[in-house]
Amino acid sequence: MINKKICMLGAFSVGKTSLVSQFVHSVFSDKYLSTVGVKISKKEVVVSGTEVTLLLWDMEGKDVYVDINSSYLRGAMGFFVVADGSRKETLAIALELRELAFNILGVRVPTRLLINKADATEEWEITQEALEDLREKNIEFFCTSAKNGQNVNIAFESLAEEMLREQNSAK
Amino acid sequence: MTAEPFTPDPALPGGHQETPPVAGDASAPDAVAPVDKSVDDAFWAGMPEAPKDKEVTLLRSLLFGREIAIVEKLRSNYEDARHNAKKVGGVLSEAILLRSKNDDSLNTALEPVVDEILQSSLQKRKADFVNVLYPLMGPTIRKSIAESFRSMMADFGKSMEMAFSWKGLRWRLEGLRTGKSFSEIVLLRTLDYRVEQAFFIHSETGLVLSNLVHEGVGAQDADMVSAMLTAIQDFVKDCFTGGGDYNLETLQMGEFTIHIEHSQMAYLACVVRGIPPTDFHKKLRETLEMLLIEYSDELSAFTGDNAPFTGATRLLETCMLAHYVQEETKPHPFWSKCLPLFIALCIGAGGGTAYYAHVKNLRAHRQAVAVLRAEPGLMIVHVQENNGLFDRSPWEVIAFRDELAHPPEQILSEKGLDPSLFTFKLVPFVSHDRSIILRRAEQSFSLPETVRMRLDTNGVLIFEGTAPAAWIARTREAALLLPGVKQVDMRDLRDPLSEEITRRVKLVESAVIEFPVGGDLPIASDQAEFARVIDTLVELEELAKKMSIAVSLTIYGHADPPGSPRRNYEISQSRARTVASMLYARGSSMPISIYGMGAAHPREDRAEGKEPEKTPQTAAPRDDQASRRIEFRIHLSSPPAFDAERVLFQ
Repeated sequence: MINKKICMLGAFSVGKTSLVSQFVHSVFSDKYLSTVGVKISKKEVVVSGTEVTLLLWDMEGKDVYVDINSSYLRGAMGFFVVADGSRKETLAIALELRELAFNILGVRVPTRLLINKADATEEWEITQEALEDLREKNIEFFCTSAKNGQNVNIAFESLAEEMLREQNSAK
Repeated sequence: MTAEPFTPDPALPGGHQETPPVAGDASAPDAVAPVDKSVDDAFWAGMPEAPKDKEVTLLRSLLFGREIAIVEKLRSNYEDARHNAKKVGGVLSEAILLRSKNDDSLNTALEPVVDEILQSSLQKRKADFVNVLYPLMGPTIRKSIAESFRSMMADFGKSMEMAFSWKGLRWRLEGLRTGKSFSEIVLLRTLDYRVEQAFFIHSETGLVLSNLVHEGVGAQDADMVSAMLTAIQDFVKDCFTGGGDYNLETLQMGEFTIHIEHSQMAYLACVVRGIPPTDFHKKLRETLEMLLIEYSDELSAFTGDNAPFTGATRLLETCMLAHYVQEETKPHPFWSKCLPLFIALCIGAGGGTAYYAHVKNLRAHRQAVAVLRAEPGLMIVHVQENNGLFDRSPWEVIAFRDELAHPPEQILSEKGLDPSLFTFKLVPFVSHDRSIILRRAEQSFSLPETVRMRLDTNGVLIFEGTAPAAWIARTREAALLLPGVKQVDMRDLRDPLSEEITRRVKLVESAVIEFPVGGDLPIASDQAEFARVIDTLVELEELAKKMSIAVSLTIYGHADPPGSPRRNYEISQSRARTVASMLYARGSSMPISIYGMGAAHPREDRAEGKEPEKTPQTAAPRDDQASRRIEFRIHLSSPPAFDAERVLFQ
């Protein structure tokens, strides 16, 4: 069985936990988030005929992004950085967290940027230009909605697929 | 050019001695460059042509004779399949080892072949495989079954012990009090410690490499527990050690402790119920070290696939320790184990005997009570039993008893039962039981042997047979006074003597013995009857004597009217006296009264059956002969007979 540790990173209140909840049903209570600072959920997906178990480390969002808990990030084989489409600054934080995570991990593991709250695009502060800019930088992103599940599964499967590809090419 | 004599080098490969080609030997070139078509043409294509010129050939053989021989030898080896096989065989196992170390292509290549071989071999030689496997599988299966059975019996034994011992009872009460299940209490009280789960976890990612859970323990998802455990360790580490090089070694929660043994690459975590021995950490460390040695390569290359670690459970098994509370194992002497059994046996035997005796005793009592109940004239109103198993006191019987009923002690004795089983409290009463009524009647009437008496269901006392009339008369009166008798039936009761007497009385009284004129002896024609009357009277007297009846006789003598009254009186008296004398002469002793009636009662009066004394004297006699006669009257002290029709009294 192939297991993969995935971390959810992002500014406070961007909807990380909601996205995970949309993707899986966790056995641990959300209170772990505020106590231990992390909540773990599990999801089994089948990618290209291979079963992969994703262990999602959902981390407590912090206003001060630099306070990212490096311990929890350690050993992550992929991660999501999450931003809130309606809060422009969260995208910047997400991108900074992304770089920070790469630094902490020491490798550029597969990652996806999730711009959440796609169900209310009219409230978005992140502009089309900003998205174009991401494309130009080859930053893979998905506009997701934790509310209606839009793109959530696709995003997770996409990350899992890339992780699996990396694993196979490393052999 | 001078040619040196050629000496073959003994160091030539294979130590092969061969005559070298000699200069001028025409056969030499052929030997040097034969073209064998079986050899790869391409191989020879790149080779220089063999020189055709003889001198050159000679020169060549002189210069390269040895090398040519070597090449020739090599070529022959190269083409020799056997030689090749020998060479490959020498290195085959090393080659396989090398190749399989590099990659698994050898496996891939051999797999279908081996599969096919196995399959076809299995198909063709099933019996052989069975024969080979049977001695291996048989004992293995047997051993496995025996082991399962033994384990089951051990568990069963322990359960039984727990379920039925005082301890078990106490724990059940504790369970009720604390709301814990019995099995939980048993576990708590009997378990020193038990490793319930063991995790081999990749340190960096917190992913489970391998894990084991004790049978019957409900466990959360190992992946998530492992990840969370890692997160908690990180959390504690970050919070309390400032990220220093310290590790969380134990986590305690109630009766559970998580013991963690760390290393850079991976760590081992065991969930323990209870308190493990102090060297448990040492055990964990040893196990972890072995795991690290065995899986160092796999750990370095870990990318999330835990398949290579499946064998790690074997080592994790060694951590799955458990220790149960030992009962005090003071060596008990053999007899101490047997003693309870012996006591139990004694009690059992004693109890059994007592119970048997009790049952027997009870049966005797009940049988006796049944006998008493069946006894007429005895009416049991209450039976007070004793207190059972160990009480041997007699039962008390309270009963009504008719005085004619047999005493209960006697009844029991006669039936072979022990009268001492009971004490009796008897209340007198008069029983209307038929047999008692009959018994009472028998006692009251001093029943003659010739009389049969019975009582019908309607209370009618019936007599049959023969009895003296006096007895019959007396009994007739008395029977009606008996309690329980409603009627007396004596229709079938006869007194044969009375009948005889009556018959004789009638015979005597109806007889008329006539006398001649002036004579006091019967006339000749009446002599026979006279003799018969005398006989009858004698018999009558004897019968009456037998029946205690007093008999007295009156003889009336009569005369015919002619003659003087005095003479008539005398002759009539003389006639009566004569008869009386004759009776006395026959031995009679009954009182006889004689009356001379004279001619006062002529004959015709008698013919009408009237009393002679009351006969009217006005009627004239028709025949004087008939008047010269005697007549008899017999007096009995009690009625000689009774009218059968009047015997039924109500």
